[in-house]
Amino acid sequence: MTVFASSVSAPLRRESVRRTLRDAWRSRRVWWFTATARTQARFSRTTLGSFWLGLSNLFSIGVLAAVYGTVFKVQNFTVYVVYLGLGLVVWNTISAAVSGAPNLFEHNRDHLHNINLHPIFYTLEEWAFQLQTFLQSFLMVLLALSFFQHNLLLNLLLLGWLPLLNLFLFLYWFPMLTCLLGARFRDLYQLVPIVLQLVFLLSPILYEKKNLGAMAWTANINPLYRILSPVRHTLMAGEVQWGVGLVLLAVNALGIWIAIRLLNSERRNIPFLV
Amino acid sequence: MINTVHTTQACITDENSHVVLRLENVCLEIPVATTETRSLKSTLIRSVTGGRLNRKRGGAVITALANVSCTVREGERVALIGHNGAGKSTFLRLVSGIYQHSRGLFEAYVPVHPMIHKSFITSSELSGQQAIKAHYLMTHGNLLGFEAFCHDVVTFSGLGDFVHLPVKTYSQGMAARLMFAVLTGSRHECLAVDEGFGAGDSSFYEKAKVRLESFLASAGTLFLASHSDDLLKRFCRRGLVFSEGTIVFDGSLEHALDHYHTSQG
Repeated sequence: MTVFASSVSAPLRRESVRRTLRDAWRSRRVWWFTATARTQARFSRTTLGSFWLGLSNLFSIGVLAAVYGTVFKVQNFTVYVVYLGLGLVVWNTISAAVSGAPNLFEHNRDHLHNINLHPIFYTLEEWAFQLQTFLQSFLMVLLALSFFQHNLLLNLLLLGWLPLLNLFLFLYWFPMLTCLLGARFRDLYQLVPIVLQLVFLLSPILYEKKNLGAMAWTANINPLYRILSPVRHTLMAGEVQWGVGLVLLAVNALGIWIAIRLLNSERRNIPFLV
Repeated sequence: MINTVHTTQACITDENSHVVLRLENVCLEIPVATTETRSLKSTLIRSVTGGRLNRKRGGAVITALANVSCTVREGERVALIGHNGAGKSTFLRLVSGIYQHSRGLFEAYVPVHPMIHKSFITSSELSGQQAIKAHYLMTHGNLLGFEAFCHDVVTFSGLGDFVHLPVKTYSQGMAARLMFAVLTGSRHECLAVDEGFGAGDSSFYEKAKVRLESFLASAGTLFLASHSDDLLKRFCRRGLVFSEGTIVFDGSLEHALDHYHTSQG
């Protein structure tokens, strides 16, 4: 006979990160399906469906490129549109994932009290939802931007996997940390949108990093920009920054480990914090 | 999740049956999140004052279950008896793994399926069929046998083609029928059932009663929390009486009900 759920006595033994990841993998069909269902529900009864994801990004890119291209008196408008477009679509995804994170468990309150799913399920469902949203809008934006730079799709297919992998991993653990802290500290829900707005203004998305001048160091210590920049660079320049990519991969692995460890240690309290 | 379908009709077990659950002095403490513990400001102050204010850090704690001890064997039908707030629902959540205990020894040798929730995991914007699929995936982990399950649920609930419409377009009765059919559509090794889990409108009640009886009878081991003596007598043989988060009586159902009614005056 094997012990199914737990065989623990005081002091309470924490579930290992490895076991949590294994269980998360086993339930992959469930969280992927419920995330897909959320995407479908979001656009139910709309004529264009999930095309709105790409269209909304394209509208923003068009307007911002026209305005800031004029304000900054850019020399090469074609390059600027691609630079801004790629930066904006990645930023919007990071921003959406982080800003919704503090309330994630709050939104799943009923399920946390009535269904015996590990809380990692809700973080994975949210992650899958963000990935599906990103992929749909990113591909549409990329197709549109290929009009200005023809090799974008080729660069994505040949070289884009490492920076995109880093982006996807980051989109999991960073919002999860925000979510765990947000469940305990309610102030975070108010704080996160403000910080995101400031970080957006400090990140070279609308402008180039060299325009920051003496303030360029702020971009170097900006974790969101450090994830965004390699994606844009690889697609535009057609080269992979291997050193940066591998360091980011290691940071992401560490981030995931820390986030899941924290989730496991907080698991007992999570239903009572929301 | 369901691993194997187990059908044991026996309600009386002997000492040779496998132990399904073992609890020894189990406590469940619920931290009460106060402004003090949830504010970044107070946390920052604590960190810069060398932790002198740490006395307040723990905040208030509610002991929802205290020193709960019992052993449940395979095939047992256990009634949870007690007034509102006595700890029955918390006990169901604990044994089914929704809540984690704070102290004591808790061993579960089979998956315990909770039947406490009354809502679908998917959005009401989605169709009934998608809600059925999500539930099936959640309890089985894959779609093997889904077609038959879906057919059974649709037939029993009487939704017909309405199953393809968004759940939010259903009447309350239709939604309750669908929920009932979904939840009683699978067999489980061990069930933790709250009486609030109902059958929907009255016209559906008689049909639902037969299915519910068959469903509960198919479970290997059963925990049933209810205020209805009739319901408990129909399905259970053993009774645990709860009061203020502790088990004050553990014995045959008849004696447990006597104990409870006597203590109620």
